[in-house]
Amino acid sequence: MLTMFLTFVKVGLFSFGGGYAVLAMLQQEIVVKHGWLTASEFTDIVAISQMTPGPIAINAATFIGFKTHGIWGSVLCTLGVILAPLCLMMILTHTYIKLQQKEWFKNMFKSLRLLSVGLIAAAMVLIGKSAFPDLFSVGVFVVCFLILWRWKVNPIYMLLGVAVFGMVFG
Amino acid sequence: MILWQLFISFLKIGAFTLGGGIAMIPIMRREVVEKHGWLTDMDFLDGVAAAQSSPGPIAINMSVYVGYRIKGVPGMLVAVLGSVLPSFTSIIIIASLFNRYAQEPLVRKAFHALEPAVVSLIAWPLIQISQKVGLNWRNFWIPLSALIAVAFVGISPMYVIIVCIALTLIISHIKQKRGKN
Repeated sequence: MLTMFLTFVKVGLFSFGGGYAVLAMLQQEIVVKHGWLTASEFTDIVAISQMTPGPIAINAATFIGFKTHGIWGSVLCTLGVILAPLCLMMILTHTYIKLQQKEWFKNMFKSLRLLSVGLIAAAMVLIGKSAFPDLFSVGVFVVCFLILWRWKVNPIYMLLGVAVFGMVFG
Repeated sequence: MILWQLFISFLKIGAFTLGGGIAMIPIMRREVVEKHGWLTDMDFLDGVAAAQSSPGPIAINMSVYVGYRIKGVPGMLVAVLGSVLPSFTSIIIIASLFNRYAQEPLVRKAFHALEPAVVSLIAWPLIQISQKVGLNWRNFWIPLSALIAVAFVGISPMYVIIVCIALTLIISHIKQKRGKN
């Protein structure tokens, strides 16, 4: 349980670049390194996270904590994942205005933002590995991508629609 | 009293952060700036910029910023608790149902279709974000090497991030020195 807590502290500390950029790190730690979830369970959590309130890293922490150690596990993992952001953000609340004018600070975030594009692409590859067992899945992917591209629908409605579609035709 | 109001406000914000991150900024602005007048628009925007720079979910970072600015450490704790509580409870409910029903054929069918849909949900913002961060042929190697290192070589993103931060700091240090000479 301590390993789990520390893992989530680590994930929290390095979760730059928003939800999707964190996915690759979560996947590596949770599925590959520790085997707390299978690859398809992990993708299920990502789908659930998209349909419930709250950030994906926190949702994953709560879910995994609950699955392995019940309610206290989920409290501990959730605390773990927000611990580092909480402390760093407290410091930043004081110093941001000053730091903002420093050249190194600006450069750092410019490259971190570029890096997060690569991390999101990595998440797509890692999750994609287990998400396409058959042609049906490929079809769902293509149609969903076109729908997002063409109509920019709210992801929640799209996922709800996909879930119903899967139940009927899957 | 203000702590209670903070808690309720962030509980509301937390409950409506569907789909994550940036989407809740307007909701939060309405609560914090317009309705309660806890912060000015300028202060709020500084917070948004800081929250995006710091690691961790924007929702949590913003709760820290607003809570701390208004009422110090107690304010921060109350705001964070408020914004985490809705997602925490909903995941607990889903997780306990999931353990029981995950193997039901109907649930499997739904997730069988949901899994590729999730990949498309990652693919689409990828294109939008690439445009926003100013990706071009000269800096294309940064995300590309991150992709290869993480997805194909299996290096942890943590090391990739550390290397990236170190490299930028060294480069901007060298540039600054050259600028002075």
